[in-house]
Amino acid sequence: MRKIPIILDGDPGHDDAIAWVLANASPMLDIRAVTTCCGNQTIEKTTYNALRICTLIGLNAPFAKGRKGPLVAEPIIAPTVHGESGLDGPKLPEPAFAPSGLDAVTLMAKVLKESEEPVTLVPTGPLTNIAALLAAHPELKSKIAHISLMGGGIDFGNWTPAAEFNILVDPEAAKMVFESGIPITMAGLDVTEKALVYPEDFERIRAVGNPVAKVVAEWLEFFYGFHRSKGYPGAPVHDAVAVAALIKPEILTMRKLYVAVETEGDYCKGATIADRFGVTGQAPNTNVILDIDREAFVQLLVEAAEHYSEEVQA
Amino acid sequence: MNRYPVIIDCDPGVDDAIAILLAKQLPMLDVKAITAVAGNVGLEHTYPNSHKILHVAEWDVPVYAGAEKPIVGEKITAASIHGADGLGGMDVPGAVIKPAPEALAWDVIYEEAKKAEGELVLIAVGPLTNVAVALAKYSELPKLIKRIVIMGGGATYGNTTPAAEFNIFADPEAAEMVFQSGIPVYMVGLDVTMQCFLTPEEVEEVGALGSKQAKFFRDVLQNVLAFSLSLGLPGVALHDPAAVLYAVEPELFSGEEAGVHVECKGKITRGKTVTDLYSDAQFEKNAYVVTGVDRTAFVKRVKELMAQY
Repeated sequence: MRKIPIILDGDPGHDDAIAWVLANASPMLDIRAVTTCCGNQTIEKTTYNALRICTLIGLNAPFAKGRKGPLVAEPIIAPTVHGESGLDGPKLPEPAFAPSGLDAVTLMAKVLKESEEPVTLVPTGPLTNIAALLAAHPELKSKIAHISLMGGGIDFGNWTPAAEFNILVDPEAAKMVFESGIPITMAGLDVTEKALVYPEDFERIRAVGNPVAKVVAEWLEFFYGFHRSKGYPGAPVHDAVAVAALIKPEILTMRKLYVAVETEGDYCKGATIADRFGVTGQAPNTNVILDIDREAFVQLLVEAAEHYSEEVQA
Repeated sequence: MNRYPVIIDCDPGVDDAIAILLAKQLPMLDVKAITAVAGNVGLEHTYPNSHKILHVAEWDVPVYAGAEKPIVGEKITAASIHGADGLGGMDVPGAVIKPAPEALAWDVIYEEAKKAEGELVLIAVGPLTNVAVALAKYSELPKLIKRIVIMGGGATYGNTTPAAEFNIFADPEAAEMVFQSGIPVYMVGLDVTMQCFLTPEEVEEVGALGSKQAKFFRDVLQNVLAFSLSLGLPGVALHDPAAVLYAVEPELFSGEEAGVHVECKGKITRGKTVTDLYSDAQFEKNAYVVTGVDRTAFVKRVKELMAQY
């Protein structure tokens, strides 16, 4: 089987971390680079977290740190959800390696240039790096096969009533990405709030027994803290849906729609607006994921945890 | 519930016409006036159309004219859907179009609200310009109005733009004034009105009732029905009638308290009713958003009411 070459770009973040655990465990994916952006926490913290995650799970791909803020907007962080570190909860190993000296965009461009086949980008944070890549390297657009992202939501938001966090943090970047013409699969709140992992599922993952599985269970527990206070029956593992879309699309329901990003407004800045009735005359640019087989998703996470049993030591 | 005083503010409009036909058969509604506003088509049509529909309904209610354009934005219409005259070119022989009274919609809303001593209910199924002008002119108005049931907006999507529903898009600033007025707003938006549809067969069944009103019902809906079917929808949504029925028989519907703001500034979201129904982030609650309906019961009630003609 030919592996799908991907670049992971995120702001870990508990759900980014679990998305990366899932991606790294999949025999279908070839992780060519890991890059960080600011979002859930500052770029220093998300980068430190990313290094610790990669060390824990044995992810040895080239690594680069992203820019310290969104393209235009002021940074927003989410300590109420992810804690002061951006990845509160279990103790993690200290980084076993340092970031390459390259900027995230430079590393991504290098990977794209050197790849014989187009590469899929998997951004699970604000789209700052991806937009910067598109702006700086228009010649590499054809080397991007597909963008499978976590962000937005065609029905509602979370950080504001209209906007989801990742898009709200850098709406201009998101607009550039959605208007890029590159095929997009959007794991937005429409599906990710159904990608719930229940407390009893935490125990299934913990029971896998290896160090990664135990850490994942503890991440889920911490991440569920915020969501429990909001009345959720489980932890919505948003970012892992963007990875599931690549390795297990058959558990998802999708609809092709034209999606645009609002960059202004009193209430709608950062909203992703879908044209359900074709009133804009624009061709669909996004595969919007609307639903998920929750139990199959949990099974996927359990199996990913099992992958680590013999190989990794914390 | 007892009979209560009502003003219907509307922009007829095909579905407004149906809403008025149904309202006549709902004894709970003591309709004091119909106030016309520019919307689906210009006021030069919505005012006379109100008379035409009352003539079809054989109903004597005073009609007043209101705003010719939105309070801030540019005027838009939906003539492509409702026809240039707003009633899909339907001829209404014998209708007498009285000259518009001197009193304007907003003054009538205020005077009726005072008379009703806090019991007046507004059913507003067009752009909210008339109500906003009344709010702008009469500062004590919010205390005098019991509630306002609107057809407008949508918690999750629009129809005129991907984000905005027609009535709100046609005058977003007016809508935001209404939502923030302190008057309890019951929002019957696209979430529920798209479920309040009649299939082609159901439209025929109403027509087959045989009265002139039933035939008018069937005929006036034909263009919008064809348009709806061309979009792949299962039938024609009775947007404005849904608001009228909700005002009288809320038990057919479901919904939730919510915070609602109208986006007036966005580049692609102007006119979007932003609700906090599904979001972690919350607004102060100022509205009740109707999201569901027992469609079978709704269709049954529409037929029953039309059968009374």
